[in-house]
Amino acid sequence: MGKNYNYIFLFYDVGEKRVNKVFKICKKYLSHHQKSVFRGAIIPANIIKIEDELNKVIDQNYDFINIIKLYGTYNFEEKIIGTNKKDGESIFL
Amino acid sequence: MGTKYILSKGELHRQDNSLNFKNSNGNNYIPIEGIDEIYCLDEVSFNTKVIDFLSKNNIILHLFNHYEGYSGTFYPREKYMSGKAVIKQVEAFNEKRELIAKAIVLGIANNIHEVLYHYYRHGKEELKEFLDWLKDEMPKKLENSNDISEILLTEADIWYRFYNSFSVFLREDFVFNKRVKRPPDNPLNALISFGNTILYTKTMGQIYQTHLDQRISFLHSPQERRFSLSLDLSEVFKPVIVFKTIFDCVNNRKLSVEKHFDKNLNYCLLNESGKKIFLEALESKFNETFKHTTLLRNVSYLKAIKYDGYKLLKYILEDFEFNPFSLKEKK
Repeated sequence: MGKNYNYIFLFYDVGEKRVNKVFKICKKYLSHHQKSVFRGAIIPANIIKIEDELNKVIDQNYDFINIIKLYGTYNFEEKIIGTNKKDGESIFL
Repeated sequence: MGTKYILSKGELHRQDNSLNFKNSNGNNYIPIEGIDEIYCLDEVSFNTKVIDFLSKNNIILHLFNHYEGYSGTFYPREKYMSGKAVIKQVEAFNEKRELIAKAIVLGIANNIHEVLYHYYRHGKEELKEFLDWLKDEMPKKLENSNDISEILLTEADIWYRFYNSFSVFLREDFVFNKRVKRPPDNPLNALISFGNTILYTKTMGQIYQTHLDQRISFLHSPQERRFSLSLDLSEVFKPVIVFKTIFDCVNNRKLSVEKHFDKNLNYCLLNESGKKIFLEALESKFNETFKHTTLLRNVSYLKAIKYDGYKLLKYILEDFEFNPFSLKEKK
């Protein structure tokens, strides 16, 4: 049985043609953090789903997507330098 | 999994099988898979396309007017329907209404006792009388009452005495003399009203995930034109979630009368930054977890509300004893 990851970071570097497709899929599950970085709380079942959906649209020989899986927000420390104008994870809009 | 509070004017769109909220800051993408509820606390425009999409994804939309008043909920088609449960719920209303109502009132008293005991332990001797009344006299009185109106009277008495005890431990500028609703007339009344409304709607969202019928309630009379079961189930959580958050915000000076309330409206409404602080505190309270004594795992207060729904269902269907959430379930 796989481990229960509940939080992921997703980085992508894909060909220009497919950027929008990847962006579309990611914003369905995660919040936009930086230009090509998404992150957020996600249930394990949806991690499988997002991987499947991404596999379908990318070019396996050219594109590069990196997913870092974590158990939750409590097991990493982060430091931000400068300003992040939009906080996708904020509960207020 | 999550909740979004919309506090600014804008438009909610369905875009690429997800949601996009457009406001003066531009596009705000809301991940459809990550949320359960959306609160609209300001003017938001949307169309049927969005409503249909929300319904498909079982997301509940709560609407509020400009004055923090609750105007309604968009409630997707029932996901869990059970005719059997409805029939049993009606039967329980006819036969065991008093028993359930008593259990709820006792639950309120227990939780208020737990919350206030903290202040008593820290030197607020004046609370002793009220705490003793809650422990000894009140349960006896409740035991002897057979009529629903008597039970409601006891409940009202508990709240009345609870509100009166505020002057003992709350900061002076927040102390009030009377609970006033519709509209609340001072900062503390405003906080209580707003907090309770959020709790009601959250409870509604949790009941939605059970087979219970929202319209048939036990303590409150179900004739009211609203989903009154959420009023019942949220009652025992009021002291635990709403009042604890208020006491924390007020006594630790997170909220102040001058800074976080609208002066034009006689300080009876939270302003934007006040709303943010209070909602954030409430939200973190809902998500706070504790080790459950019987389930033996970490449970958040929000899920504890749902488990209370399950408990009620179990009582209705299988006659399992119904004891609403008590702070003593915390380990």
